[in-house]
Amino acid sequence: MFKTADPLTELALTTLVSVLIGTFLLVAVAIFRRWQQTRYSHYLESLHTRYGLILEQLLYGTRTPQGVAALRKLPLSDLERLFDPLLSTPRDSDTHFAFLLAICTELGMVELWQRRLAAADDPLPTRPASLGSHSKLHAPAAPQRLLLRAKSIRNLGILRHHPSWPLLVKALDDPHADIQTVTLNALAAIRAPGSFRVLMERLQAVALGRRATPPLPSLQAALACFDVAFCSDLLPALRHPHRRIRFLAIELLRLIVRRETAQDPLFLLTKENLSPEITDLLLTDLYRDAIGEVRGRVAEVIAFLADPRAPTALFELCFDEQWYVRLRAVRALAHPRHNTPLLLLGIRDCLRDAQWRVREAAVHTLIALGPSGKQQLYEHFLTSDDQAMREQIVEVFERTGLMASLIEAYSQGTCGVEALVVEQIASGAAPLGLPEVLRTAVPHVRLKFTERFVHYSRFKMRLQMGAPPEAAALVARQKMLEFPPALAA
Amino acid sequence: MIHLRAFLSDVVIFSNVVILSYFFLANGIYTLLMLLSLRATLLQTRRWAYRGLDSLRESPLTPPVTIIIPAWNEENVIVTSVRSALMVDYPRVNVIVVDDGSTDLTLARLVESFKLLETDWTYRPSVPTAPIRAIYMNPAIPNLRVASKVRGGKPDALNTGINLCRTSYFCNLDADCLLERDALLRLMDPIVNSTVDTVVSGGTVRILNGCESQAGQVLKARLPSTLLERFQVVEYLRSFLFGRTGWHLLGGTLIVSGAFAVFHRATVLEAGGFRDDTVTEDMDMIVQLHHWAAEHDRQIRMSFSSDPVCWTECPSSLTMLGRQRRRWQLGLCQTLWKHSGILFHGKYGIVGLLSFPFHAYVEGLGSAVEFLGYLLVPLAFILGFVPPFLLVVFILLGVVYGGFLSVGAVLLEELAYHRYPRFRDLLTLLIFALFENVGYRQLILYYRFQGVLKFLFGSRRWEKVAHAGA
Repeated sequence: MFKTADPLTELALTTLVSVLIGTFLLVAVAIFRRWQQTRYSHYLESLHTRYGLILEQLLYGTRTPQGVAALRKLPLSDLERLFDPLLSTPRDSDTHFAFLLAICTELGMVELWQRRLAAADDPLPTRPASLGSHSKLHAPAAPQRLLLRAKSIRNLGILRHHPSWPLLVKALDDPHADIQTVTLNALAAIRAPGSFRVLMERLQAVALGRRATPPLPSLQAALACFDVAFCSDLLPALRHPHRRIRFLAIELLRLIVRRETAQDPLFLLTKENLSPEITDLLLTDLYRDAIGEVRGRVAEVIAFLADPRAPTALFELCFDEQWYVRLRAVRALAHPRHNTPLLLLGIRDCLRDAQWRVREAAVHTLIALGPSGKQQLYEHFLTSDDQAMREQIVEVFERTGLMASLIEAYSQGTCGVEALVVEQIASGAAPLGLPEVLRTAVPHVRLKFTERFVHYSRFKMRLQMGAPPEAAALVARQKMLEFPPALAA
Repeated sequence: MIHLRAFLSDVVIFSNVVILSYFFLANGIYTLLMLLSLRATLLQTRRWAYRGLDSLRESPLTPPVTIIIPAWNEENVIVTSVRSALMVDYPRVNVIVVDDGSTDLTLARLVESFKLLETDWTYRPSVPTAPIRAIYMNPAIPNLRVASKVRGGKPDALNTGINLCRTSYFCNLDADCLLERDALLRLMDPIVNSTVDTVVSGGTVRILNGCESQAGQVLKARLPSTLLERFQVVEYLRSFLFGRTGWHLLGGTLIVSGAFAVFHRATVLEAGGFRDDTVTEDMDMIVQLHHWAAEHDRQIRMSFSSDPVCWTECPSSLTMLGRQRRRWQLGLCQTLWKHSGILFHGKYGIVGLLSFPFHAYVEGLGSAVEFLGYLLVPLAFILGFVPPFLLVVFILLGVVYGGFLSVGAVLLEELAYHRYPRFRDLLTLLIFALFENVGYRQLILYYRFQGVLKFLFGSRRWEKVAHAGA
């Protein structure tokens, strides 16, 4: 570019000028882009100002012929811009979706999205002539086409457009990973019966290495959105000889059950919603599967089975050889319906587990079982010689806020096991937690607690110094019952 | 005399060749990174337009995460940071604050603000740490725990957090950082949707100074008022938007900001937890993980995304800036030296063959090379080895190329993220990008050179940067 005597100077000068030009070009692009953005947002604003009210009316079911006619006059590209915020933000109810789907269908947008899906490599189709005369869209560039396709798939999913599911299944073969992921989300939202089986096949193919995409977690997440009624299609996978497939199938069933229970706390797996074959398989083979991870997940599923064989299987799983299976089993029992003598026995045994996480889970489970579970826990706390376990129970009392409730009840004069637990705690089992709870308790509770505990301490001191006759009798009863004095009283 | 002049001439010419090669190598690779990042960032931004975060938020497979906040004498900022962490939009999140033996009111502020109670918590360490004094919590905020421990340094505080953490993933968050509400979801996206085990996911750190924030959330992004802070905004943009994004795309991630990154707990534990033999435990951990993966023949992925954002307070005085940069440079040199076995080692792939050598030469030694350049080039001119015109052209080239890269970063920000909505802010950023290499870069170079000297003299002192609180 520059001719000088020295080639180095020439090179440096050329580079300098090129970089200078490049820098100013970048500055210009940045400023131009900002200007373009501002213009675009003004345009969007004007669209929303003009048509926002009509759209809102339509969404709430107030349909005016003028409103629909005004929207029909808009080019499809503008309609998409107008509808995009409605489709990308969650709506309040299904009714909104129904109205939205009806409008989108009427305005030809659903058809447009389907055609984009059907013709992946074709230029973007134009709007049907009947819907407007000035609606031709130009064929966009490749990245733009990807964006439009992906958005079309997303929109069909959000609107739960049932008839589109076969098209969406085809889109799963798209080479672009993003299209596959968006399609999975859309299929999960639509939940068409036929798509569950297709997705299961994909899952198995990916798990066995026959396919590389879509990613396994995306497939699992999509399948987990289906209702429990679809789970009969899981039977072949649950019986599969390959351990990974069995694991994925039971994990899926667990996720589905967990989602159902989150929506309905009283949810149970019955003959109506789960095929008897799967129930039998769970209660005969799978809970004794060779793979611990499978057994653990089975525990979480059978905890929701309304079958008389389920408690026995759960009880057995509480004694599994693998600690993580016991952990899952004992966690799965944290519901008042599992408050049966057999299962309580299993949970109490977990309180003595070698693994601290199992012990901790057992404490939480007993608390979740309600008054009788707590009673078992208090008794275990009072009678156990295991100092580590006692500390762990106190820790959970503090973390769950149960300590504060116990102290309040004690200050109000509650007797029985609860009072004994508090007296034990106050005698040194919670050196840090108890003072803290008392410090933050209301003054009245603090005072009453202190009065009662001082009384107890004096009594205990008298016992230790030279047991008077009535105290001696108490000690004898206590020994008989293996409980400390207050409980025996 | 003639011999001395000839010798001097040789030395100066050799030095100039080194400086020139450094200049072209560094800027060449930076330009490549910029171009790579430009494309990838635009694609990523477009991707969010159709993928959204709902599927990730609602997925039962999105794993729970524990945010670990190590804090030492952070009384001015800690409560806001914890509030910001608790408000994050994520399905299941726990927060653990580790007070690393603060001598100020850090712990008291936390106890008072969150009504915490001391508990009889059993501490079961997986990695050894300094003793725990107490663990605090409030049953009404079950996902918040505060551990108070004897001072052991940031790596030790992080290890304490890992010991207390019960989730598969944990997120490091500096005590002076504010998380954007969706930052954690965005940070977990590469982990959840990856076909390879992603053990680290890093995000972007942006500068909080000048922004309007309330209750732990940034309401309006604004530029700070002082020159020093504004230059740092541009510098952070360049570093995060194309430096780290570019290395991630090449598969050579070597630095993930410890201020905001997610790690896979079990992998970190297998790699031995955070070490205290360097002052930049974040970079050390990343390199350690590369080591671990190569030794155990494990395929792991370390991801960096520029869209999950946390906001941090940058130093507003020269003293604090100097402390921060000296520490960063010292840590960089320590880590590179500690793991020097990776250099040009084929087993480590791109990391060993490109990323590590680049960081060693350009980021590690570069500050010394560049600093000497500022001394030797004028010397060469004085001694008559370099014609004055060429000298001027080279100085201009250095300044202009730096400006080009910084403007590139601002453009990337404008194209993809648009965080500074005022036109005035865009213009200011562009102006500061153009002039970043006049004065500011030399100042930073001076601090970095001091960091190299500290490394050479074996200093390991952690220089504390005080935060005023946003």
